[in-house]
Amino acid sequence: MMPPPVRWSALALVALTSLAPPIESASAPVVQRGRDPLDLALPTAADPGAPPAAVVLPLAGPAYDDDAALPAHADDIADYTLRARLDPEAHTVHGEGTITWRNTSTRPAREIWLHLYLNAFKNERSAFSRERVGGRGSEPPEDWGWIDVRKLVLRAGDATPVDIWPTAELRRPGDDDETDARVPLPREIEPGEAVQLDVVFDDRLPIVVERTGYRGHYHMVSQWFPKVARLEADGTWAHFPFHHLAEFYADYGTYDVTMDVPEAYTLGATGPLVEWHVTDGRRVERHVQSDVHDFAWTAWDAWQTARQNIDGVDVTLLYPRGFKRMAQRELATLVFALPYYSAHYGRYPYKVLTVVHPQQDAAESGGMEYPTLITTGSSWMTPTGFLAPEIVTIHEMGHQWFYGLVGTNELAWPFLDEGLNQFAEQDGMAKWRGEGSGLDLAGLTVSDAAVDAVAGNFGVHDEPVAQPANAFTTGANYGGLVYARTASVMETLRRVYGDEPVMRALGRYARRFRFEHPGPDQLIAVFEEVLGARVAATLRTALFEKGWVDYVVDGVWANPATRAAGMFDRDGQREKVEHDDRAGKDWDNAVLVRRRGTLSFPVDVDLLLADGTTRHEHWDGEGESRRFAWHGPIAVRGAVIDPQDSVMVDMNLENNRGAAEGRGGSAGSALERATYWMQLALQAVSP
Amino acid sequence: MSEAALRVHTVDEDADSSRQKDELVLVTTPAVHARRHPRAIAAMWAWQTVLALLASAPAAGLARAAWRGDVGGDTPLWAPGGHALLDWLWHDAHGLRSVVNGAEIVLAFGAIAGLVPMAAMMIALAYATRDRKAAGFVRSVAGGLRAFPPMLVLLLLAGLLQGLVIGSGALLAHLVEGWAHSGMGEARAQQLEGVVLVVFLGLGSAVGVIHDLARAAVVRFKVKGLRAFALGARTFRLSPVSLWWSWAWRALASIAPVLAAAAVAGRLGGRGGLGLAFLFLLHQSVVVARVALRASWLARALRGVDGALRRARS
Repeated sequence: MMPPPVRWSALALVALTSLAPPIESASAPVVQRGRDPLDLALPTAADPGAPPAAVVLPLAGPAYDDDAALPAHADDIADYTLRARLDPEAHTVHGEGTITWRNTSTRPAREIWLHLYLNAFKNERSAFSRERVGGRGSEPPEDWGWIDVRKLVLRAGDATPVDIWPTAELRRPGDDDETDARVPLPREIEPGEAVQLDVVFDDRLPIVVERTGYRGHYHMVSQWFPKVARLEADGTWAHFPFHHLAEFYADYGTYDVTMDVPEAYTLGATGPLVEWHVTDGRRVERHVQSDVHDFAWTAWDAWQTARQNIDGVDVTLLYPRGFKRMAQRELATLVFALPYYSAHYGRYPYKVLTVVHPQQDAAESGGMEYPTLITTGSSWMTPTGFLAPEIVTIHEMGHQWFYGLVGTNELAWPFLDEGLNQFAEQDGMAKWRGEGSGLDLAGLTVSDAAVDAVAGNFGVHDEPVAQPANAFTTGANYGGLVYARTASVMETLRRVYGDEPVMRALGRYARRFRFEHPGPDQLIAVFEEVLGARVAATLRTALFEKGWVDYVVDGVWANPATRAAGMFDRDGQREKVEHDDRAGKDWDNAVLVRRRGTLSFPVDVDLLLADGTTRHEHWDGEGESRRFAWHGPIAVRGAVIDPQDSVMVDMNLENNRGAAEGRGGSAGSALERATYWMQLALQAVSP
Repeated sequence: MSEAALRVHTVDEDADSSRQKDELVLVTTPAVHARRHPRAIAAMWAWQTVLALLASAPAAGLARAAWRGDVGGDTPLWAPGGHALLDWLWHDAHGLRSVVNGAEIVLAFGAIAGLVPMAAMMIALAYATRDRKAAGFVRSVAGGLRAFPPMLVLLLLAGLLQGLVIGSGALLAHLVEGWAHSGMGEARAQQLEGVVLVVFLGLGSAVGVIHDLARAAVVRFKVKGLRAFALGARTFRLSPVSLWWSWAWRALASIAPVLAAAAVAGRLGGRGGLGLAFLFLLHQSVVVARVALRASWLARALRGVDGALRRARS
């Protein structure tokens, strides 16, 4: 997808504004709260996934290279005070409470849009059900789930409270999806005006599907309440149905939720526990958390609990019986990851983090992020060398930053949360576990980054990374491009341009846009600030234009440097010259390397000489090819482009090496290993 | 089964015979030991190695074709982090699928045709010439070929039985897991499932032990098919624990060198030069050790059927 022309104008503006002094002063950095005066344009209601029509880019600046300028709180726009009562036998939740919502746009609001995500599982005509394109949630539902709103009473100023739910439009003509409700308002809500919505609703949870539901007595209650869509600054609602591949988008606020479950049940929820009591065989817990944009909870009568204070955060791990070893591995992961992420992407601002490890029979609810609550997963018998529990834990914890604290639109730009978070995951795992950050088993190490590099190559030519989640044609492309490709692009930048500037750029972005809702342009602008225009252009090409690259060693030649032979006219005489005896003479060496594709990175080129030495060269990656030619006493044997494996997005590593005629190596090590493995296999099946 | 069929002619009993000195006769029961026949073990290793080379050569060829441009050959495949390895598996997925299919055919062939070298090795363990020399390669292989039909029958019979036992166990284990899941939780239920499965795997291994005893009966007494299986079962019934443990400790011991080699290989790297040479020696030592342990068990099976016969006579 080509970027609209206006984006290039915006880039030009960034180039100009980046010359201006950073927004900081010697004494106190300037921190802008609330609406960014430079504003972010976001997808419209009609086309929620469309790129912004116009973007003016804000500055970040070095003030955001540490935590001094971090905002303490988000701008409260949507506050929820809810009470929820779980019936674990009927798998229902009765909810009621108040939503306080403020119009922070520049225009009066004539309607309110509510997300009723649970209706995605109501029938096979929901958008979620119709869009099964592979990946998570593609299996036919085992049971149905839904949400019924009973009442939605508007309280605004001195006006008489009025139930506005009867006029709600739950479906669009010709569409049976009921996850995106439009509620007309009896009067306009002016910019800056706050209203209260008293709401009563009943959930029927499905058997665990797509992050939510129950299995037996286990309940993961998420996407469970009527949630106000986000009203953008220009007065358009960023509302959308629950898409198969998409996640969420909402305003920040304070969630004050009181949950009521049978006494034997253990609760885990977003935010710290502020109040609890047991009455009439029911456990009632109240959790309150500010500066978040969602709330999820779990209840089960079989939870085991582990607690540990990590980096000043009270971590609670809920795990099933028999999963203690997994719980210990996940806590060990957080001991590394929480302080590491806080150091790189800004301090974790909450007091608590709850980690929920469901059983494998409820795995669909695992591997998910909510504010201050994450779900992990993996079998109780996962070998220590297979680092799935660690990877899932660090990934979901990372979402506290890339989704939670930086509240991007997950439908419109899924790579901004999943992709950046995937990079943070592979970076964190590599810093913690080294080359075996994905698999470290029986002498074989596979890094998390290597898996992403190869997985990210799938679908590169099919569709761009930077597009709405519901625009991806298959779940495989969504996974490969949004997660793996984005991470590999970032990892390539890190390896090529250095760990410090790339981590600084991402950290600056995460701090600058904490509690805000940036888009791709803001990310690219920050990278341009730190790393320059070439990196910004590369990032844009890679994300928006299906950018790809393949470095190739196309030829290696070592020719004896002999006297030029032939007929020569000299001094009026025609002379025949033969090649001279070249024993002990020099060589004319040449190596040709190419760059195929639309991305370019500076790379090293190693020229391997016959005496075993290596001549190191550097190619800035500009142009489509580069020829290294030299005359010397030693013949060239071969060449390797990108010997340090920096360009993780290289589409083909096999052609990164070239040998002079007859100088290629053998496949001895492959033969040795394959033979050994076959011998063992034969012994297993032979008499 | 007739007594005549089970009569053991030993080297000692026939020591004064005037028959030809190079005629093959059974060695005495206590003399049946694998350690006395390193050549038989080496021949078995050679058979497995040839088949393994046959199966792995296409994979190596594919790797060579992919990495021919590297002066170090395919060494990048084994670099820490596995990027080149994964990239190769992705790019050459179709070729590798063919390689795997070819390897599966070789494995299937090895599972059937391997009966001949196994029987030949057992003959080498169980027989000697009258003048106490080893049976020799040619005659052992000839004996192995003759034993192939009954060995094949036994393989099918034991395979069927083992499949039934282990399949039933898997089904029962699954049912137990389902029954226990909600009450005990997933982990405990799956552990219980594992226990049930292990019990049935134990039963299946007992069938395997009987199978090997039946093979010993084929070699030792030249009985066939069901008769051999019945003799194997009778032998097992006489001392089940001792025989099963004799098999089990060798089976367990044969896992140890594989794990040790994997640990050493990780440190060694083995991407080329001396490291690769050492890795080759290490791996082949593992293979030879495992062949030797298998031969040791088969020798024990041969002694076992002799013992059962003696007890039957007495």
